[in-house]
Parts: sequence; structure tokens; C-alpha cells
Amino acid sequence: MIEWLWLAPLFPLLGFLILILAGDKLSGPAVAWVGVGSVGLSAILAALVGTAFLSGDQVPYRLVLGSWMVVGDLSLPFGFYLDALSVTMLFVVTGVGFLIHVYSADFMADDAGYARFFAYMNLFVSAMLVLVLADNLAMLYLGWEGVGLGSYLLIGFWYEDPNNGYAARKVFVMTRVGDTSLALGLFLLFTQLHTLDIQAVLRASSQWQAGTWLPVAASALLLGGAVGKSAQLPLQTWLPDAMAGPTPVSALIHAATMVTAGVYLIARTHTLFTLAPAVQFAVALVGTVTLLIAGCSALVQTDIKRILAYSTISQIGYMFLALGVGAWSAAIFHLLTHAFFKALLFLAAGAVIFCFHHEHDIFRMGGLRKAMPVAFWSFVIGSAALAALPLTSGYYSKHDILLATFDASPGLWAAGCLGALITGIYSFRLVFVVFFGPERPGVERAIGWRMGLPLLVLCGLALLGGLLRIPLDSVFPVAVEAHRGFDAVSGITLAAPVAGLAIAALFYLTGTFSVRRLVSSGWGRGIQNYWFSGWGLDSLYNALLIRPFKAIAGFNKDDVVDAGYTAIAKLSLGLHYLTSASQTGRLRGYAAAMGFGAVLIIAVGLLS
Amino acid sequence: MNSSQLIAFLPVICIAAAAVVVMLTIAVRRHFTLTCLMAGLGLLVSLLALAMAGRQGPVQVTPLIRVDAYGRFVMALLLAAGLAVIAFCYDYFKNREGENEELLFLILAALLGASVLVTSCHFATFFIGLETLSVSLFVLVGYVLGQSGSLEAAVKYLVLSGVSSAFLLMGMALIYAQCGQLNFSGIEQYLASQELFNGMVLTGIVFIVAGVGFKLSLVPFHLWTPDVYEGAPAPVTAFIATVSKGAVFILLLRFFLSSGGYFYGPALTVFSVMAVASILVGNVLALLQNNVKRMLAYSSIAHMGYLLIAFIAGGRIAPNLVVESVTFYLVAYFMTTLGAFGVVSILSTPQAEAVALSFYHGLFWRRPGLAAIFTFMLLSLAGIPLTAGFIGKFYIFAAGADGRLWGLLLMLIIGSGLGLYYYLRLIVVMSMSQETGIDAGHEAAFGRVSSVILAVLTVLLVWFGIYPGYLMSLIQGLY
Amino acid sequence: MNIEATLVSDLLPLIVYFGAVLAVTGVMLGGAYFLGQRHSAKAANEPFESGIVPAGDVHIRFSIQFYLLAIFFVIFDMESVFLFAWSVALRESGWPGFIEALIFIGVLLAALIYLWSIGALDWRTRRQRIDAQKSGRRE
Repeated sequence: MIEWLWLAPLFPLLGFLILILAGDKLSGPAVAWVGVGSVGLSAILAALVGTAFLSGDQVPYRLVLGSWMVVGDLSLPFGFYLDALSVTMLFVVTGVGFLIHVYSADFMADDAGYARFFAYMNLFVSAMLVLVLADNLAMLYLGWEGVGLGSYLLIGFWYEDPNNGYAARKVFVMTRVGDTSLALGLFLLFTQLHTLDIQAVLRASSQWQAGTWLPVAASALLLGGAVGKSAQLPLQTWLPDAMAGPTPVSALIHAATMVTAGVYLIARTHTLFTLAPAVQFAVALVGTVTLLIAGCSALVQTDIKRILAYSTISQIGYMFLALGVGAWSAAIFHLLTHAFFKALLFLAAGAVIFCFHHEHDIFRMGGLRKAMPVAFWSFVIGSAALAALPLTSGYYSKHDILLATFDASPGLWAAGCLGALITGIYSFRLVFVVFFGPERPGVERAIGWRMGLPLLVLCGLALLGGLLRIPLDSVFPVAVEAHRGFDAVSGITLAAPVAGLAIAALFYLTGTFSVRRLVSSGWGRGIQNYWFSGWGLDSLYNALLIRPFKAIAGFNKDDVVDAGYTAIAKLSLGLHYLTSASQTGRLRGYAAAMGFGAVLIIAVGLLS
Repeated sequence: MNSSQLIAFLPVICIAAAAVVVMLTIAVRRHFTLTCLMAGLGLLVSLLALAMAGRQGPVQVTPLIRVDAYGRFVMALLLAAGLAVIAFCYDYFKNREGENEELLFLILAALLGASVLVTSCHFATFFIGLETLSVSLFVLVGYVLGQSGSLEAAVKYLVLSGVSSAFLLMGMALIYAQCGQLNFSGIEQYLASQELFNGMVLTGIVFIVAGVGFKLSLVPFHLWTPDVYEGAPAPVTAFIATVSKGAVFILLLRFFLSSGGYFYGPALTVFSVMAVASILVGNVLALLQNNVKRMLAYSSIAHMGYLLIAFIAGGRIAPNLVVESVTFYLVAYFMTTLGAFGVVSILSTPQAEAVALSFYHGLFWRRPGLAAIFTFMLLSLAGIPLTAGFIGKFYIFAAGADGRLWGLLLMLIIGSGLGLYYYLRLIVVMSMSQETGIDAGHEAAFGRVSSVILAVLTVLLVWFGIYPGYLMSLIQGLY
Repeated sequence: MNIEATLVSDLLPLIVYFGAVLAVTGVMLGGAYFLGQRHSAKAANEPFESGIVPAGDVHIRFSIQFYLLAIFFVIFDMESVFLFAWSVALRESGWPGFIEALIFIGVLLAALIYLWSIGALDWRTRRQRIDAQKSGRRE
């Protein structure tokens, strides 16, 4: 069964080709069948391959399809690599991807670019599968750039509005910073190890002395790539802007799959990071700071999708934290559960937006509890999982992370717990504001089964996903699990999100406290604005990078370099007219010129 | 003359015999198609004789002629080019009034001269071959008397060619005066025995360069080129651009390789100056040219300049490398030039030669196949990858880099950049919309034979551009 | 001895020769210019033909056939000169020489046949030929 693995990325690719070439000629249902069906086939295949793999002895499986390129001592096969880690990612990408595709079939039904949408989505899924199944770093990079392309196309999907175009461009440019770092990392690894095969790289690099410049430089460059793709500090500012795309896109790309590629990359190359403890600590630090910053920003946002975007950044921060403290499997586990509940939240938000005449501002909603029961319960379950309330899937993964963090560094643990508290506040703030309170009219339409069904399935997964823990011990070094009983640490870890829920309830449900009073003071308002703008990083980058760049560009507005080329063109033109004058058509002139030329070259010959 | 000498010389004899037979055919029955067939057949027989001689070693046929593998290859190239020109002539002249049969005889005579030229090892055959070639060309250039500029072009070519022959003879005389030898290898022996540069010999060489430079239209002996290219009928222009120039260049190379001309650094300086001037002037002159034939004429000046770079590199690198790069470039240049002028000749009608740029407006819509072929030819002239022209230019570059001729290579790059402008300009014009183009009433007939030749040339062009290995291996063993 | 010195010494005869050429032409033209008399009389530019006033135009138009025949004469005449050279060395050149001469004569013969058949030896203008054909038909 496993040898059919190569079909998994192929199906969506075929779907993409069909839709992009013949999408205009297909009817709406046909487009949906092709677009959803291709990912569906992939998902079925992934399920079969995955179960076959997991029920076996879990020996990593390599599938080489052919040679991609051979240049000098660089030999790149077109190969796939399957182990427990890639199986997990395979499940996430195809499973969640399939559900989101089903959902989109309804959500996008009225859009003029229906076929185009599914074409891009299929392209993205295909590229993402190449990324997670890649056998060598070059193929991984291929998938990495492929998902970047898919993301760019889908964010700018509604290209008629220039703002969406700007957003897509911003995302593309910012992730490119990370991509460049990743590419440099690959070059470094190749020049040192003369191979790009992931397993060979990991084996060869284990010969390196821990803490020397090589592993540090290599892992730092890879971290740069991961930070860009996964929207971590300092490159996290693109993710809120990515919300310009259709909501299913946000669910699939900017919550469940692509943004976790950085986590996957670090987990994939974890041996490199263990050789560079400083960089690994940096990973943890980046994760912690990001999760706090993004959490605070999520607290004050009013746009429903931006809240979710900041929460995504924050949750990926947790994953980075886990990676940083060496809790590899916990990180991947959180990736898995996060994919479930965040996809659920986004889809539910999409349903709200869909039914509530495309309103994004949560304070213009309210009391939707009765009007939209499916969305309401989806949100409750999703938020509970996001906040890691006990017995939800998020609880298992985040609890693991925080306990592992305490073993590594109590300081980071405390920050993580603070983050969990904030998570509780902002997630239930959303629920209370949107679904409770005075009911507001304006629900235009109900959701169909194609939108409802994925929500229900994801509800189940968000609740019970904790049971789906895929054993990753064959991939990662077995962590020394501290089997602690119920003590103060786990108690606080457990209590933090509950406390957050309570605070949210006091502010937004019962109205015991009022936000308005908090922000009425000058510094309160200042903090609110500061957090709202994402800690002002956009303006910082604007001042530090964009302005100087534009100044330089403005200085070069008349194109100093181009003036040189223009001069060449002018010179050529002048020479043309000059030499043209010699073509008189007069025989005597020609003969004289020959004689003169002969004298000239004799002079050159004799004088040189 | 023993049998191996006879076999070696048989191709040349065949051409001469073919010329006589064509002449007698005309005497018996004046019929254009028949004459074309006879001439083509003669060339095929000659090619067959070349193939028979095969990989025979170098043979000294007479003291004047030496046939080696390289000479045979170039001769085959010239004959093949002759065949293509005959095909173009057939379509070009078949519907024209007047007695066009002698054209074939003249082409055969010119080919005879060219063949002698590429196998010569003596000043006598050098001069006889060159003059046989030139005299036939004078008449060919002025063949279409009714066409404007044709006679003028012929007269110009005649007079200036006479001037150049005078230079050539003067050069030979000076060298003979010093060396007492007319034989290339005899000259080499004399020069090798001298320790110092000899001013007389150097002056002689420079005179010969001046004479040959005229035939190759190198600056400053280039002024005749556009006028003659424009005035001559298109197939004849193709003939001048390929056979005449190719044969003369090969002779020049052979002279320098076998008579020790490369000892003379100053002569190479002269060549460098001429190469730089040719590349620059040729490309610059072509820039705004609205007459396609003149544009191709200017571009041929530049191409000869490029070719000189590989030639000059011979002073520093092994002879077989020079021969390899020069030959590959020549093959590519032959195919491309024949193709380009072939398109011009197909498009020409008895009323008007297809020279004006406006004639090519919207050619892609009217004659897509022809326009595509022309595009390929122009891209190859510009040296765009996937065409033989690119590989040829690459060879030049490799030879120049081996010889560390950085200044000349810089000129090559600048020249190629300038060249792109006018080649692409023509392609753009061809793809413009139909409306602005010439009305369909002036459309030329569909030249079937020429089209087949053009298709073959295009296929070869792309084939050698993508898989140059076959041609390379063919050329590598030549010298 | 450096190269330039060699060059100059080698070239000296050549330079002297060029100088002589220039001097001779200069003396001829300049001498005529300076020594010659100048008149501005009415008939000074008339050609002197023993007192008879010249009549008519110098630009007489000969028939093209005249030139053709002249060229043919020169060509065939010159070619027979080659045969002279061969006949002198007939025994030394032997059979190969004989065969070569045969080929040479054969080519000449072919050319003659060609010229004959295209009517190059016909001393009539095209007009006259057509008239002759017509009258021939009438008879």
C-alpha cells in the first residue's frame, strides 16, 4: 500500500491542471467534484497509507520515483520519505484539507472564480504534500515555495480590491525574507556535507561538535526560514494581513497547514538543533515572546478573523516553545490538535461571516446563539480546545508542552501559563461577544450541509483529537517524561485557562467589569492602541526598512544606472548616423576608402 | 597523377565537368528546370565523389593543390550551400522572363573557384581560385539587368574587387620577393629560418589581409557590402554571403596555419583592429536599417568580425581548436544566412524584391511557416540558445577565452547586445497586426523547392543547437 | 638589433620605390603643368588634325557584336598560346600531358559549340534575324 504514496500529491496536482486548463468550461458541480474529489482521493489514500504504516513496524519508508537533477556531485532524486512525523503531517494536510474543501464547495459557490479558487487550493495541497513528504531538502524547498505561491494566489484571490493585492504582496515579500534564510541554510549544508538528502544530512551533521559555528549557523538559518513561514517574531506581522483571503483559505493555509511548516522543518531537522543549544534556546524564546505578544494583540482586536489570526501566531508560539525545550512530540501533537480546533474556529467564523452579510466586526454581532446553533457550538468547542480547557484535545497537547517547559525552564513555564490565561480570555471574549448578549437581527441565510458537516466532524476532532496521539518515538529521541502527580505546577497549568474563561465571563458576559473603564485612563487606551496595532511592529518596520528603502529608491528615481544604458543607446545611435554617412553609394569614395584603409592597416601593422 | 590523387581531386573535376555539361545542355536545349536539374545533379555527383574520398589522408594532388579532410569537409559545406542556392534560384527565376539558364553555369563556375580556393596550398591556386570565384560573381550580381541597382552593384563589385586583387597581388609579390617561395609550406620554412620579423614579409601579409578583407567585407573594406547585397538577386546574395566569404575565410585560415603567419604578432594586431572595427561598425550600421538585405549585409560584417576573434586566438591556442571553432561557426553561419536570404528570395516577386521592412509587417499572419523560419534564423544570428548560432558563438567565446583575448570578447558581448536590437526589431515587425502590412495582391508564389530546403535548414539549425555533439565530433577530427 | 630597426632597414628599398613612383608621376604631371604653354585662344582646345576641322561626335556606337567577337578572338587566341607551350614540350609531358591537352581542347570545343548555338557568332542584330526568318518563311 505504501508504495502508492506518490499518488497523494499527484491527485491534487491533476485537479489543479484540470481546473486551470478547463475550469471555465466545467459546470459548478463539476468543478466542485474535481476540486474536492482530488483532495478526497488523496485523503483516502493517506488514510490507507497511514494505517498501513502505523500498523507495521514503523520503519521509515523511502520511495524514489526518479532523478530530478544531477549536477556535479549534487544528485537530487525525486523521492518521498515516510515516517511517523510525515504520516502525522499527511493526515493533517489531507484530512483537514478535505474537510475545508467540502466546506468551500458551499462557501464559494456564488463566487465568479469558483474554478480558479479550487485550482489554487489543489495546487496548494499538492505543494504542501510535497513539502511534508520530501526526501531531500531541495524538494522540501520546492514544496516550501509552492505553498508560498499558493498562499500568495489565494490571499489575493479577490484581486479586484487593490488592498487584497497589497496584502498578498506583503505576505509574499515577508515570507521571502525567511525563504532566503532557508535557502542560505541549504547552501551551507550542501557546501559542508555535499548532500541534501535529509537523513544523510542529519547523519553527517551528527559528527559535528556540538555548539561549534557550523551547527549554530546552519540551524540559525533554518530557524530564519521557519520563523518566516510560521509567522513568529520578528516576521509575524504578515499573518493578520493574510486574512484578506477567503475564510476557507485562512482556515487551511494560515491556520492548519502552511504556517506550521516551520514547526515541521525544525522537527524534521531536530538533530541539528540539539547540536546548537543556543539556537534551540532561541527557538524557545522566540516562541514565548511571540505567544505573549500575539495573545495581547488578540485581546484587543475587533475583527473576528484577526483575533483568530493572532491566536494562530500565539499557538504556533507554543509549538516553538515546545521545540525549543526539546519536547518534540508535544510540539507535533499540538500542531495536530491545533489544526483541528483552529480549522474549526475559522470555518465557524466563516459561517458567521457568510450568514451575517460579510460582517467582520464582532461588536456589530451579538446574540447569535439561537440563530446559529451549529456555529455557536462549533465556537464553544473550538474555543474550549484553543483555551485548553480540560478534556478537550488542546488540553492534552498544551498541558504536555507546559509541563515539559517547566522541566526545562520555570521562567518560560510561567510565561506560558500567562499566555494560557490570555488565551482563555480572548477566546471566550469572542464567544461571549458574538453569541451572547442582546440578539441582533441580520442573519441572512442558513448554512447548508456541505458547510455543516465539516463543522460537525471538526467539532468531534477538536473534542476527541487528544486520543489521536500518533506515536512519534520512532522519530524523536524519547523524552524523559516526568511522571509527576498532581502538584502545584500542573494545578496552575490547569487553572490558568479556566481563570481566563472566568475573567472573560466577568467582563463580557455578566458585565461585572467594564473594558470601557479600563481604557478610559490614558495609559490604558495607549496600551490598547499599541496592542491593536500588533505592538507597532508594522510601523517599526515601516520606519526602519521601508522608509529608507523608499528614500533610496526615490533618490534613484531617474534611474542613475539606466542613464548609463541610455547613454550607450544614444552613443550607438550617434555612431549609426556617423557611419551611415560613409555609405554614400559612390564608387570612387569606396575605392578611395579602400586605399586609405590599406594604408591605415599597414601603419598599424608596422607601428605595433 | 596516381589513383589516390585522382580520387582526391575527383570532386573538383566533377564540378568542372558539370559546368561543361550544363553549358552543352543549354546549347542543345534551353530549358530552365532541366538546367537546374543538371546543375543539382552535378553537385550531388561531386558530393558523392567527396564521400568516396572519405577519410583519405592528406593528398598532395599537384604542387598547387593539397586535399585533406578539412578541405573536403569545407568543400562539402560549400557544395551543399550551392545546392541550396540552386533551389532558391529555381523558385526565384522560374517565372521570370529572359534567359536565366546561364545562371547555373555561373554558380558552378563560382563553386569550382571556391573549391580550388579551399584546397589550395600555393599562391597560384590562391589567386586563380579567387579570381574564378570573383569573375563568376560579377556576372551573377548583375544578372537581373532589369532590376534597379543590379548593374550598379555589379560594376561596383567589379571595380572594387579589382582594387582588392591588386592589393593581393602586391602582397604576394612582396612575400615572394623576400622568401623566393610561392608555396605556403616553403614560406613557412623560410620564416622559421629567420630569427627576426621581416618588414617586407609583414607588409606583404598586411597587403594580403587587405585583399582578403575586401572579400570578407571587413572594416575598412566593407563599404561595398550593402550596395552589392541589395542590388544582387536574393539567391545570389545568399551565395556571396556564404560560399564566397566562407571559402575565402578558410583559405585565410589555411594560409596562416600553414605558412606561419601566426609568427607575425603585428599581423594579428591588424586583425584585432579590423575585428573590433567590423563588430562595432557592422552592428551600429545595422541598427536603424529599414532595408532587410542591407541589414543582413551589415550583420554579416559583424559576423565576420566575430569569426576573426577565433582566428586571432590561433596565435595563442592549438590550431585544431581554432579550426574547430571557426568551422562550427561557419556551418552555423552558412545555415542561418542561407535561411534568411532564402526567405527573402521566396518573398520576392519579379516586380519587387522583398527588402523593405514594411514588406514584413504581419508576416506571421500571412505566411506563418515562413515567418517562423525567419524568426529562427534571426534568433540564430543573434546567438540565442537552442539554435546553432548560439553554439557557434559559444565556440568563439571559448576560443577567445582560451586565447585570453578579453578586449575582443568584450566587443563580442557589446556587438551581440547591439545585434539583438535589430534582429528582434524585425521579429516584432513580423508579428505586428496585418492591417498595416502590404496588401495581399503582391503576394509571392509559394516556392515549394525553396520551402523544403528552408524547412531542412531550420530543423538542422535547431538540431545542432540542442545536440551539437554530432557536428562537433565530425569537426573535431578534421585538423 | 631591435625589431623596429629591422623593419626600417628592410623596408628601405620599398620606401625608396614608393618615393620613386611618386616622384616620377609628380615630375611627369608637374613638368607638363609648369613647362607647358597656356593659351586661351578660341580654338586652343580643338584637337589638331592637320588643319582639318574635326566633324561629328567621338562617341560612336559600335554594335555589341563587335565587342563580343573581339573578346572571343582574344580568348581563343590566348588559349592557342597554351597549346604552343604544350607542343614545345610534347615529348617531355608524355601521355598525361596529351590527355590534359585533350581535355583542354575539349572544353574549348564545348564552349565553341555553346557560343555557336546561342547565336553569339551571328553578326546580325535581333531585328535582322527576325526579318531573315520572316523572309525565309515567305520563300
